[in-house]
Amino acid sequence: MPPSIHPVDLITALRHKHLTPAIVFLTSRRACDEAMETFDHADLVLPPARQEAIAVALERVMTQHPSIAEHPLIPIVRRVGIAAHHAGHLPSWKIAIEELMRQGHLDAVFATTTLAAGVDFPARTVVITQSSIRKSRDFTDLTIGEVQQIAGRAGRRGKDHVGFAIVTPSPYIDLMVLTKGLTGQPEAIDSQFTISYPMVLNLLKAHPHEHIQGILAKSFAQFQLNQRAELLEQKLDALHAEMEPFGPRVCTDWITQWHTFDHARRHRHTRHQTHRSESPEISSKLPFLTPGRVVGLSRGRGIVLRQYRSKGQKNSMLTVLRPDNAVTECPVTSVKEVYDRTYDFAETPTYPWCSTETFDRLSHQLEELPPRLPVLPILVSTGIEPLPDAIVQSLGDFPCPTCSSRPACQKDFTTASRLRQEQQRHTKSIQALRTSLWHRFQERVEVLQKFGYLSPATQLTADGEWARLIRIDHSLLITELIRAEAFTGADPSLLAGVLASLAHDDDRPGAFPRISPGLSSLLGQVRKLAESLSPYEDPPLLRADVAALVERWVADPTLTWIGLCRLTTMAEGDIYRLLARTLEYLSQVQALKFTHPGLAESASHAITLIRRGVLEELP
Amino acid sequence: MNTDELEQLLAQQPVALLHRLARGRVHRHFRAGKRRLIELLLQHSSQNRAGLESDLQTLIDGQQARSDAGSSRIRRAPAIVHKKASPRGAEPDSAETAVSLSTWLEGLGVPSPQPFVPDPWQSEALSALNETDVVISVPTGSGKTYVAVEAARRAMEDNRSVIYTSPLKALSNTKYTEFSRIFGPEKVGILTGDRQENGQAPLLIMTTEILRNLLYDAASGEIDVRLDTLGLVILDESQYLADPERGVVWEETIIFCPGQARLLLLSASIGNPQDIADWLTSIRSTVCRLVRHSKRTVPLRAGYLHPNGKLTPLFRTLGIPYGHPSQLHPEAKRLFLEYEEETLPAGRPRR
Repeated sequence: MPPSIHPVDLITALRHKHLTPAIVFLTSRRACDEAMETFDHADLVLPPARQEAIAVALERVMTQHPSIAEHPLIPIVRRVGIAAHHAGHLPSWKIAIEELMRQGHLDAVFATTTLAAGVDFPARTVVITQSSIRKSRDFTDLTIGEVQQIAGRAGRRGKDHVGFAIVTPSPYIDLMVLTKGLTGQPEAIDSQFTISYPMVLNLLKAHPHEHIQGILAKSFAQFQLNQRAELLEQKLDALHAEMEPFGPRVCTDWITQWHTFDHARRHRHTRHQTHRSESPEISSKLPFLTPGRVVGLSRGRGIVLRQYRSKGQKNSMLTVLRPDNAVTECPVTSVKEVYDRTYDFAETPTYPWCSTETFDRLSHQLEELPPRLPVLPILVSTGIEPLPDAIVQSLGDFPCPTCSSRPACQKDFTTASRLRQEQQRHTKSIQALRTSLWHRFQERVEVLQKFGYLSPATQLTADGEWARLIRIDHSLLITELIRAEAFTGADPSLLAGVLASLAHDDDRPGAFPRISPGLSSLLGQVRKLAESLSPYEDPPLLRADVAALVERWVADPTLTWIGLCRLTTMAEGDIYRLLARTLEYLSQVQALKFTHPGLAESASHAITLIRRGVLEELP
Repeated sequence: MNTDELEQLLAQQPVALLHRLARGRVHRHFRAGKRRLIELLLQHSSQNRAGLESDLQTLIDGQQARSDAGSSRIRRAPAIVHKKASPRGAEPDSAETAVSLSTWLEGLGVPSPQPFVPDPWQSEALSALNETDVVISVPTGSGKTYVAVEAARRAMEDNRSVIYTSPLKALSNTKYTEFSRIFGPEKVGILTGDRQENGQAPLLIMTTEILRNLLYDAASGEIDVRLDTLGLVILDESQYLADPERGVVWEETIIFCPGQARLLLLSASIGNPQDIADWLTSIRSTVCRLVRHSKRTVPLRAGYLHPNGKLTPLFRTLGIPYGHPSQLHPEAKRLFLEYEEETLPAGRPRR
């Protein structure tokens, strides 16, 4: 059993049940192309009369759009009445297919879901083979709105009594997503308001700074934020009502009062913590009880071999060499005298804590010691009086222990403090909801002031006046490039190339073998600037291959469309979109003709150079 | 009866009988298959063989008695078996109420051409547009374009200019061709990022970004005649308001749309069209009218096509059971379970 239905079988089944014309939505462009390939050798040919009709219709479309004449899919379209329609194709091809579909010549079109919104032709049947859609590298489940958008293509008004949405399984389909999508209510839409640099400049050009908060308040974003704020305000009102019984008691702010008291009470135990530190007499001795020191113990004398802390012992411990080569352990407290006599020796980390020779030498020296030794005068520093615990001291100041409402306070405190916390939280978030757009606007203003597009009084500077005309993505980078005079003297092809790499935000792989040194050095400059601007604006992908492709198209007027497509692995439709977007960016630069005549000249030159061949013929 | 004989006798019995026998004898007997069940029963009864044997005998006798009792019962037996065999989770009488494929395919065909009569919601939207802004949220393919064309025609008859915007250049081009056919090429112009034709025509088609730019230019003091006589702005595919990258453009356009121009927002079905209407009401001078309905002009039916070419309805009802996603057709459900069984890697938990 194949994991999903074979395209030929699918079309056969649809034809058999008279469910054509149909749009078959597939996961990817490749799936569409592979599905088309399976028809190469299928004996699904249409009756000659219909083949004839398709051929005639194709001829008619071809006169308008000659570029599709050599399209590799044409024989299949003509023979089987089936076509593929996705973003990898040229718009002219898509227009032709839509036209054929509208005239009813085709039986099925394989399309990608990504373009469900852009597919502007209905059919009797829609075939759905997937429950997820590729959105920037990841697959996500279709939303209810998307499923309905797809299914909505089924059923042509005036041509069908009913439309059919047919689900056919493929690996990793989730039927639940689709059935929910078909039967559910579409999702609510949310505002995606963002504040861009050109928006700030244009707003400040037209309106004084103090009016802008009012303008931002008119956005759908603020409308929805207000809705949420109102919800919170309702909750806040409810909280106020709930707080009613917890009003002022003996003290007005009894919640805070009790909170501090309770806190103090809870933390009192820290005072009674047992101290492990030694008495001042002992701790003043410790620095002198180093290895090699001669000490007097309660019985006899000894030489300290090491000082250590032992887990079970309250005091520091000593390892002492005693007469008759005895090594004993004793607490520091058992040291009666510390003598003014030390022996130097090298310590070792293991028993007997010094080398054997040293040990012999030390025990010999211990026995040689005179009976009377000078005692080290050790000054006992009288420890500083422990500070009276401030909290415990003030515990006496609290009225709570003797207060008449103490039991009530103690009982209500948990509820009341939770309510009060919620109140504070809500108040804060309401504040944030009401002012967040304005804050974001202010942030942008600060950046623009930093770069000198706005004066400190939020007036547009000379740079701001022209920068506001660049209303595209990465506008800050583009205006900074213009100010850095990166494009001065650059010929139209270089300008077009750099703008193409800025405009292209698709990460579909493409390859272009050679990049001219001029372009690569310019791109390096752009990349460096983009990185330095990254705290203020997301850097663009800056793909060198698309830049080189566009540069080549502009620089070499003899290059044909086919020749251009052979230079790269990108699909035709993607190249077309790249050029179209580059045109858009160029036309924005062209608008700077009063302030940057040379640059605008170059841009308009590039525009005329780009518009040729397929791009001229297309709408 | 020795152990082997008993084992044979047990193996001959239907598994249901074994389960009844295992009640009180085997813990969680319903988890075990037939072989395992026999094993467990024998293991359990090693002490009390006689009890098991006598119980088994009574059960076998009882079953025979029932099958002998009447022929009517036998006739009903297959129905019961059939029910048991139907996939788990199916409601008992699902087989009876689900539509059949032939009914589902009925009504397929081309309706006879009828004179075009606007739907009530279309007329409602058009008349409302005389006084105020309108938000339309209807399913795909309901005839939003008709409203747009009629509204544009009326505005142009009043010598007011019209701007029509769409999110995609491709859609703009399609509409340009379509409107040129309807109103004549001299009355329609197009402005997109890379194409400008007939820029002073009374009906201008553009991408929303271009309109936003025009409005910004006008706000900063540049004089644009087109905006002074502007009577109607049609924003097609307004659900793009929620587009993560471009949604902001729709908001800007609506905020800065001149007060004298009416706004017509066309959108596919969305969850909260009322919010959008309320928003427009809050920022524009007139109360915005919302026109919405969820009924499709051409009714939709959902089907399930199995990879082996078998077609069944997807839902138990003929149309789409809105709000009841689990009312699957038993046949479609069975086929899909089968499909999952075959394709899912072993050990992967079923949803």
